[in-house]
Amino acid sequence: MFFHIVLERNMQLHPRYFGRNLRDNLVSKLMKDVEGTCSGKHGFVVAITGIENVGKGLIRDGTGFVTFPVKYQCVVFRPFKGEILEAVVTMVNKMGFFAEAGPVQIFVSNHLIPDDMEFQSGDMPNYTTSDGSVKIQKDSEVRLKIIGTRVDATEIFCIGTIKDDFLGVINDPTTT
Amino acid sequence: MSGEEEENAAELKIGDEFLKAKCLMNCEVSLILEHKYEQLQQMSEDATNQMSQVFEKSLQYVKRFSRYKNPDAVRQVREILSRYQLAEFELCVLGNLCPETVEEAITMVPSLKSKDRSLNDDAIDKMLNDLSLIKKFE
Repeated sequence: MFFHIVLERNMQLHPRYFGRNLRDNLVSKLMKDVEGTCSGKHGFVVAITGIENVGKGLIRDGTGFVTFPVKYQCVVFRPFKGEILEAVVTMVNKMGFFAEAGPVQIFVSNHLIPDDMEFQSGDMPNYTTSDGSVKIQKDSEVRLKIIGTRVDATEIFCIGTIKDDFLGVINDPTTT
Repeated sequence: MSGEEEENAAELKIGDEFLKAKCLMNCEVSLILEHKYEQLQQMSEDATNQMSQVFEKSLQYVKRFSRYKNPDAVRQVREILSRYQLAEFELCVLGNLCPETVEEAITMVPSLKSKDRSLNDDAIDKMLNDLSLIKKFE
């Protein structure tokens, strides 16, 4: 799920950036530093949408760098266990398939794919029901439920399932 | 990490910070990100190089999964859903997935039926109806 939240960060700024454009420099450095990063607590920082307030700077002993506490609003993407969302299938193999929902990767193991769906190898590997009516392959859109998350230093990785009511393929690229 | 173990969106256990935070539906994120993308393009020519991968992937994702494209419709969806005393998170799950039946809605958002919520099936049905009307007249 995407959220709009306020985060705080202490920004260190070199004295050469001081002057009229101090605030602009601070903001562009902030964007460069945090946009695209990921933390386990807040998820992926997608975009900064505004600066709430810039606190008083504090000169660091010995270096001349100044630390400013900056409060900023941003859009983050944070997946939760138990959350249901839509995702695009990116890779299919006999172990299961990978899907992407925005910046996050989700793996659905073949144990968590309905039992009536069989793996079919070939140049377009896919999972298909015995009557061929439902097919999961690269670029399919699926609705899945996140059942576990693993947090790395720079990434969040999810495990999902489509073995439940109202989950599964919502759009098959071959039929549209 | 005990707090993380207990996390469960189905019971609305997403941590205090996120529970109070403003949730965004995919269509709202799409409006925000496209606006930001246009700004970036105006500032420099190689806007695509400046975007982080996270930004790019999110933009693609929300464009693909936005149920409502028109900004007015997006506003209406939020307005209608906010009449039902939903938590931010529940509101956004419903807005994103647009369930068609009451049963589907409850499966998508089990917390709708939890506690002593005043929300009965008829109310949910009306809510889903209103949502599909917006989609129809968009």
